[in-house]
Amino acid sequence: MVRNRFDLQLEQLDVEMIKMGALCEEAISAAIKAFLQSDETAVAVATEKESDIDRKERDIEALCMRLLLQQQPVAKDLRLISSALKMISDMERIGDQAADIAEITQFLKDNDTKSKVHIRDMAAAAIKMVTESVDSFVNKDLRLAKSVMEYDDVLDNLFIEVKQEITDLISRDKANGEFCIDLIMIAKYLERIGDHATNIAEWVEYSITGIHVKMEMEEGN
Amino acid sequence: MTKRIFRAIFVVAVVMMLSVVGLVLGMMYSYYSLQQHENLRNQATYIGAGIQAEGLKYLSGMKNPADRITWIDQNGVILFDSKADPDKMENHKQRKEITDAFETGEGFTQRYSTTLSEKTVYFALRLNDGTVVRISTLTITPVTLFFTMTQPLLFILAAAILLSVFLAFRTAKKITKPINDIDLEQPELAVVYDELTPLLRRIAVQNKQIHRQMRELKCQKQEFDMITSNMQEGLLVLDTHGELLSYNAGVLQIMGIQPPKEKASVFQLNRSEGFRRGVESALSGTHCEERIQIGGKFYQLFANPVLQEDSLAGAILLLFDVTEREENEKVRREFTANVSHELKTPLTSISGFAEIMKNGMVQGEDVPRFSGKIYDEAQRLIQLVQDIINLSKLDEKQISMEKEPVDLAAMVHQVVKRLEPVAEKKSVTISVEAEPVLFQGVSHVLEEMIYNLCDNAIRYNYENGTVQVSLREKPNEIAITVSDTGMGIAPANQSRVFERFYRVNESRSKETEGTGLGLSIVKHGTLLHKGRIHLKSELGKGTEITLVLPN
Repeated sequence: MVRNRFDLQLEQLDVEMIKMGALCEEAISAAIKAFLQSDETAVAVATEKESDIDRKERDIEALCMRLLLQQQPVAKDLRLISSALKMISDMERIGDQAADIAEITQFLKDNDTKSKVHIRDMAAAAIKMVTESVDSFVNKDLRLAKSVMEYDDVLDNLFIEVKQEITDLISRDKANGEFCIDLIMIAKYLERIGDHATNIAEWVEYSITGIHVKMEMEEGN
Repeated sequence: MTKRIFRAIFVVAVVMMLSVVGLVLGMMYSYYSLQQHENLRNQATYIGAGIQAEGLKYLSGMKNPADRITWIDQNGVILFDSKADPDKMENHKQRKEITDAFETGEGFTQRYSTTLSEKTVYFALRLNDGTVVRISTLTITPVTLFFTMTQPLLFILAAAILLSVFLAFRTAKKITKPINDIDLEQPELAVVYDELTPLLRRIAVQNKQIHRQMRELKCQKQEFDMITSNMQEGLLVLDTHGELLSYNAGVLQIMGIQPPKEKASVFQLNRSEGFRRGVESALSGTHCEERIQIGGKFYQLFANPVLQEDSLAGAILLLFDVTEREENEKVRREFTANVSHELKTPLTSISGFAEIMKNGMVQGEDVPRFSGKIYDEAQRLIQLVQDIINLSKLDEKQISMEKEPVDLAAMVHQVVKRLEPVAEKKSVTISVEAEPVLFQGVSHVLEEMIYNLCDNAIRYNYENGTVQVSLREKPNEIAITVSDTGMGIAPANQSRVFERFYRVNESRSKETEGTGLGLSIVKHGTLLHKGRIHLKSELGKGTEITLVLPN
């Protein structure tokens, strides 16, 4: 079975996307480890992964452009490549936000407060969403992609809960204000990571079915 | 093949047809010329006879003869011509047919018109009186004949070609049909042209050979699959692009995934950092070992490139479960750390007290107190080392394992009596409820076990707490239960309290000075007697440990 250059390049795109997804997972895991365990080395890991992700984004972008220009793909292949182009920008944002979380944790004094709010649950939910959105891309799993989109509500609700908890904390203990602001920023970043994971899942759905739910809805209005 | 046969037949038919038509036309024309020649001769003879009988009068009497008749005298002068005025005509002496006629009695020539579309045939005959009579007639040339025949010829040719197309097609089909009908699976059964028999026989032999080789390959693959699928380790074979060529059931089990699609990238199975590094390194031609974690278990990944004459042909990945090794390693590391710590604590105290005394900073009356402390710490050290020795003896199974009948009830009472001073100090009451039991076991190990259990029950008790020791005989086994109303063990720690030096409270408060080896000795002793341990505990309420030993 001899395959042509185009098939090989598509295969390469797939592998590069998987690698970039894996880097995102590692970046966010490192950031959360840095936050929860106040681990200095994890901060460095998250920053390093972020620059890896940026490099990967450029590589994949170049590969996609080459494919588009040289092979002029149509139908499903075109969908795959265009959705890959959209997905990498979401992945790149996830990497940035992971690095931002890691950076904040550097200045975060070790404090028991973080175990008092549900931020740990948020971190777990965000990691789960990123992992599953990458999984849905790897296995072209439509059902998993849909479950990621639905899971975003869980993360959003957790964010509202955490926000409420932090508000309560500030009103009770005014001295801890700076710490609380850092916490709410981390919570917001986690919530954004969830949104990006949802976007990835939507593009996975688009590449499989050719229908982008959000865009269809907007067009319908 | 049908096409080629068809084309060959068709070309042959057309060529044959054209040549036959040409030949027939040629033959027909030459026959026609011959006939005409003969005709002219007869006519000339006839007219000659007429001229000899009647002279010029005969010629003039002829009404519009079809052919041109010319009468020429011995000198070539025209005496009569049926189409022109003889006086205006030149001398015909030099004409070829005339000279021939003078010489041989008759002459024959033909002259073509400029367009070649017509020709005039001349026949000259010498009469008895020496004059010559010449008859000429216009006749068609082969070219004219051909052109006049073109239309019917084309029609006939077209019909013939159509017919030959049909016939050629039929014939070609008929020739190739038996060849097409050969069953290539069983070519020896086909009844076909003799010329093909050697070829078919060859195919049959090769078929058999292929079938045999396929069977062998299949067998080998089945064997290979059977061996690899029974392997606990994961085995992956990749091509140069990192796509899966083969994998065993172990991989699916380790990764906890469904069988991937054909030609899937290996990163669809796992994309963790270590795995990626391993695969990339193997695909770039260098051996690599990585330790990766999949679903709470640890695996050693061996990634090896497959080289074929110095060029990369793929990669082989092997995954070994090293969870147990990893855990043992962790336990060993903890043990080493603990044992050093436990040994160092009393030694630091001893060294400290001894240093103070050496520097003469101790008053005479304080010497007994200091030396007492040194003695206590030394005793503790001895106890610790003794415990470690006991434990390693149990580990190595070096101590005398001679089993003898032991009166367990008496032993329990004796142990409790030994511990009474300690219990009194902590205001803990001990109650014993022992049925008289004779147990086949190793006496000093059993005593140590019961001692350690009771000691722990007192040590980790609250003030004014109680300890209950009971000994019951059940069918085929005995149960020793020690329960206390102490501080209890949290569920997370319950599985670990039997590890060496494991202390629930890592701060090692002075009040509970133990070696951390007690329960470990209990566990090993129970294993030695092939028994089992039940631990029931609730944090803050108390602990109940039951040893069930088969009798």
